[in-house]
Amino acid sequence: MRLIYRILWKDHSRAHLLGAFLGTLAGFVLLLAGIQFYMDIKSVLTENRDLLDPEYIVINKKVNIGQTLGIDMAGFTEEEMEEIEAQPFADQVAAFISNEFPVRAYTENERFPDFITELFFEAIPDEFIDVKSEDWQWDLEEGIIPVIIPQDYLNLYNFGFAPSQGLPQIPKGVVSMINFKLRLQGQGRGNFEDYQGRIVGFSNRVNSILVPLDFLEWANKKYGYFKKNDPSQVILVSKDPTDPSIIRFIEEKGYDTIREKLKSSRMNIILKFVISFLVIVAAIIIGLAFLVFLLSLQLMISRSSDKIRRLSKLGFHYREISRPYILLLLLLMAGITGLSLLLTSLLAGQLHQTAETWSLSISSSLHGIIYGTALGLILLISVANVAAILISTKKLCK
Amino acid sequence: MTIRFEKMIPLPMLEQDTSGSEVWEADSLLLEQGKSYVVEAPSGRGKTSLLSVVYGLRTDYRGVVFINDRDLTSLSMKEWSAIRKSNLSFIFQGLELFDELTALENIRLKNELTAYHSSDRILKMARMLGIEPFLKRKAGILSFGQQQRVAIIRALCQPFDFLLADECFSHMDRKNSLIAYQLIRQECDARQAGLILTSLNKADLPNTHARLKL
Repeated sequence: MRLIYRILWKDHSRAHLLGAFLGTLAGFVLLLAGIQFYMDIKSVLTENRDLLDPEYIVINKKVNIGQTLGIDMAGFTEEEMEEIEAQPFADQVAAFISNEFPVRAYTENERFPDFITELFFEAIPDEFIDVKSEDWQWDLEEGIIPVIIPQDYLNLYNFGFAPSQGLPQIPKGVVSMINFKLRLQGQGRGNFEDYQGRIVGFSNRVNSILVPLDFLEWANKKYGYFKKNDPSQVILVSKDPTDPSIIRFIEEKGYDTIREKLKSSRMNIILKFVISFLVIVAAIIIGLAFLVFLLSLQLMISRSSDKIRRLSKLGFHYREISRPYILLLLLLMAGITGLSLLLTSLLAGQLHQTAETWSLSISSSLHGIIYGTALGLILLISVANVAAILISTKKLCK
Repeated sequence: MTIRFEKMIPLPMLEQDTSGSEVWEADSLLLEQGKSYVVEAPSGRGKTSLLSVVYGLRTDYRGVVFINDRDLTSLSMKEWSAIRKSNLSFIFQGLELFDELTALENIRLKNELTAYHSSDRILKMARMLGIEPFLKRKAGILSFGQQQRVAIIRALCQPFDFLLADECFSHMDRKNSLIAYQLIRQECDARQAGLILTSLNKADLPNTHARLKL
């Protein structure tokens, strides 16, 4: 070892450097483990979903007594629509449009009992619908109106209504074979037309009776005479359903939605809170440890100030004089990087094992961002310390 | 290398009577490489100040000092380091040894910077000056005379154009002083270097080119 290292390293304070080393190490492990944990949970939250498969969220206003009494309207005004569209999480937004004329469905079939019911239609653009069917097309010439009903309706019938009434259960395939008529009623007596109706699919996404948008627009023009209402439901697509701002927005506005779908958004809020707390604590620890580092090295330099001046007199340049300090710093930093990555990966392995018993699959290896963060921080601390070392040795050599 | 003083006088000397001084009273003084100068004066006449100015340790002076026609005040830190590494060597009156290093390590510290002498040559010089038995001892426990010899050898472990020796024989007897002087001259000659040697009393050294009275 070169003598200059021995001379200058002699004046270190082991307690200071050890304290700074352990403090920084603890801060690093906390920070890195926090990030690793966050990434893991995030991947668990999103793992069952293809990244290309965004979440469709249907929003409606909460029904209150004012709406029951007809004072308040449950629809979304144009301004409210624009506000929703302006939200960063809303990649696509569409309002439900509904029929502006009476609709009635009835059957004429010898195998099923006759059946007649008032009905409603709603329509949204095709890209929001989860049922893809060749029959999902409106053609005036054919006169068949394709209808999509919620999967829940069929379940309700098959598992609730039918068994209790002694009626047969109907499989999906058979439902689409049921012939029923749809009577669209215009204004004035006798102003109606019958069409063939056909159920072409079951939606898990939309809780409404859907018909093709172009059909409903055409029919509203032809038969419609109700006062046009604001849309009561809005569907939006969000690429990142874990985005906590979705649930915040919905709650703030007093809207309603199927909560289940936003579970991950809510989880994310809690997670982000916990993680940001962890990160803040880690940042404070790292900040303090960084200060201890800086001060220990500066103390070491000022303890050696006589020696440094002497070395300068002997012809040592201040850069050569600062080298032992920089080497010491870099050795400690390398130790911190290595140890913190090691400890974090041990923690990650432990977490991986624990998660496996809950049959959650999280990575046992460190995420790339961990290495990036560790190196970035180390670089930052090192650069600041090297600068401080150079400045103070230069000052002494003057 | 030449060292030239133009009406140079350290500020503290202004308060003193400097009449008769061949340095402080001179309009211009040129010191040339290859020659050896002995500066004789009682204490307080500015011997150390003179060498410190040339070595760049002091800047509180009036007038101008040139090294190779460059004003000393225009030299950067980097240039000073380079000059101290290869153009000027200084045997400090206060020695500036590291007490916690051994005598040999003190010498090697400098030689690590310059890689000038071989270990053999260093041992040979130590033997010549009679300090070989003490090389493994901490410098701090050596006598001042022994430390002076360590400082002399250390100063010789580099290339230089001028050697500045500040009362470097003050704690040595006549015999040892002459041996040390011989070594110094030998090393200076090998480099064709100049020597500026200060002495409290009449040094009475052989083969000097000029004596300057402060």
